[in-house]
Amino acid sequence: MFLARVVGTVWSTVKWESLEGLKLLLVRPYHLDELSGGLAAGTLHDGVVVADILGAGVGEDVVVAYGHSARVGIEPELKPGVPPSRPIDAAVVAIVDRFRVETTSGEAS
Amino acid sequence: MMLGRVIGEVWGSQRSRQLGPQKMLLIAALGPPDGDGRRRCTGRVVVALDDIGARAGELVTVAWGSGARSVFQAPENRDVLADAAVARIVDGTSAGRE
Repeated sequence: MFLARVVGTVWSTVKWESLEGLKLLLVRPYHLDELSGGLAAGTLHDGVVVADILGAGVGEDVVVAYGHSARVGIEPELKPGVPPSRPIDAAVVAIVDRFRVETTSGEAS
Repeated sequence: MMLGRVIGEVWGSQRSRQLGPQKMLLIAALGPPDGDGRRRCTGRVVVALDDIGARAGELVTVAWGSGARSVFQAPENRDVLADAAVARIVDGTSAGRE
């Protein structure tokens, strides 16, 4: 998973039927240098398109999961034993209230 | 798995139902050792669920995908929505000099 800032929305008219009604957001993952306060948020990494059912808005910070976790995350009513089937690979799994960075010293001997 | 250093924590009250109650830790990825044998941050930051009590400043390994889900005890692991989890707290590493 990664921490990212929502910077926009994405919409399309031609898509898989199963994606009908699913909101897509454009997010920028945080880089370590942005967390340490020196730089503006969300400028060093490439943008990622993610699905969202939690209702995140532009300017909010979110936690994004990839892969199977993302597909499960957009199916709140999924029954046990039934695999998720909608074709997405990244989704918002939490809207961030706050985060705290205690140390950014990045060295290990 | 990935080697990283815990740098902080994330809180979010609006979260996926299946995400579980575990802490969400911010972890800075560490690269391979340089000429002095030191590992430096690559700049990449990941969020991983933690059930073993890792704290800021500690070295940890992070498991991905179904490996992350298997970190959590059955039967809960079938429901935990996590693609990254702290697998262990690392006491030290060594790497051969080339």
